[in-house]
Amino acid sequence: MEYVVQTENLSKRFGKEDAVVGLDMKIKKGEIYGFLGPNGAGKTTTIRMLLGLMKSTSGTIQIFQKDLKKERISILQRVGSLVENPSYYPHLTAYENLEALRKILGVPKTRIHEVLETVRLSDVADKKVKGYSLGMKQRLGIAAALLNNPDLLILDEPTNGLDPSGIIEIRNLIKRLPAETGMTILISSHLLTEIDQMATTVGIVTKGKMIFQDSIDALRMYAQQKVLLKVSDSEQAWRSLLGKGIKSEWHDGIISLAEHSNEKVAKAVHCLVQDGFSIYRVEEEKRSLEDIFLQMTMEEKVR
Amino acid sequence: MIGKLLSADFLKIKRKGFLFLTFLGPFGVVALQMVNYGVRKDYLLQQSDDDWGYYLSNISSFIPLAIVLGIVILTSLMASVEDETNAWKQLISLPVSKMSAYLSKFTVLAVLLFFSSVLLMVFTLAYGLYLNLGDQLPYVELLKNSFYPYFAAIPILALQLWIAMVSQNQGIPITTGILGVIFTYSAFVLPDWMIWKWPSLMNEWNEPIINVMLGIGVGIILYIAGMMDFTRRDVK
Repeated sequence: MEYVVQTENLSKRFGKEDAVVGLDMKIKKGEIYGFLGPNGAGKTTTIRMLLGLMKSTSGTIQIFQKDLKKERISILQRVGSLVENPSYYPHLTAYENLEALRKILGVPKTRIHEVLETVRLSDVADKKVKGYSLGMKQRLGIAAALLNNPDLLILDEPTNGLDPSGIIEIRNLIKRLPAETGMTILISSHLLTEIDQMATTVGIVTKGKMIFQDSIDALRMYAQQKVLLKVSDSEQAWRSLLGKGIKSEWHDGIISLAEHSNEKVAKAVHCLVQDGFSIYRVEEEKRSLEDIFLQMTMEEKVR
Repeated sequence: MIGKLLSADFLKIKRKGFLFLTFLGPFGVVALQMVNYGVRKDYLLQQSDDDWGYYLSNISSFIPLAIVLGIVILTSLMASVEDETNAWKQLISLPVSKMSAYLSKFTVLAVLLFFSSVLLMVFTLAYGLYLNLGDQLPYVELLKNSFYPYFAAIPILALQLWIAMVSQNQGIPITTGILGVIFTYSAFVLPDWMIWKWPSLMNEWNEPIINVMLGIGVGIILYIAGMMDFTRRDVK
């Protein structure tokens, strides 16, 4: 499989503090890779290393199958990025801001109008960025990242400071890009709901370590529901279920079934009824991705 | 690559007062002599037989201060353009090497200061002609007077740019800059090896060209040291 981004054992240490530890990140072409983690988990540090803004303490980074250390400039030619808060020159207009970048990137001037159109800033292109709202500045940052028609787009918390309609707009844009241009997107966030709605693959990082990296569907598997039974005389009911070889747990007077296919649930209910227990409730407990994310990051803290 | 960076950097300094400062420096130096000669021209002309030479020496006494002050302000202003919204991360994420990004900043400032020196020459000549100091125009002296301090000040430019570029806090380069201005002000008592003495063109051999050579040589060394240090560091 060809990976657009591949890091091996990537680590970064600030003095005595480990910001990123042995991170292996793999991003396939055309993916929207959601990079998740609580604040201070090492997301931005990783992204800064991917862009060559920081040198890694150890490990290798390959982008487009090229070594970042050796071919940084030719790699960055094909990368667009927005790191943390958007950077801009407040005394210049949006057009001039993009022009300053365009001169370095060497793309045609028409590209400026195109990206301004994409983020819907064309009307205010000749106003100084000083007077922009945070959301407009954020959109300008995204425009700047798109300027060179990148093959890899790296966005660090791109929906920060946007209002709900702005968030939806950016989300739609991000979803559209890989389909239209074959772009690969790395997007970081501390909000799972955000990633959940866009990403095809998820990497979860906490305390500088990658604790999960797989497709979003695999993550949803963790979100599988449990079936809870509320019955009369629950402890005895639980024992009788165990006696019949049905895996279950008993907790606070509630029985939870480990297996929850329709047949298994029906069988358990059937057994209980046969044994004369009254069944008050059969309910499904859904764990949100949010819960899984919290649990995953909490587990890491306990260790 | 450096050409693209330079044109981007010249665009970024728009509306930041760089050109105004470039004009203000040489104008201020000559304006001081306008006041001086305006108030007591007859007295000053009596002081020496070589009116042009005396006029040039009056002008030159304020050049080092103006240059060093200009360097401090311009370097710090230059760094602040990128520091203000932490645009360094955006600039260095572009396909440019850190070395050329640094070289571009240095070149923009060197060009602006050179332009200042040209203006200084023009203003000096213009006011000299207005004063009617005689027909013997000392062209060579005028050129030396206008451009020698510029070359002698390159080490200070390289040093201040280095400090301004790598400091998170612009208070640091301003502090070293103020110290530098004080040193320059007291150039007369400084030992010859201090770089802040060099723009005054004084040395124990009385050969201004030595300061120019030293300025260019040490300037290149300090520039390379600053660029290496900037390249080595993680981006702010």
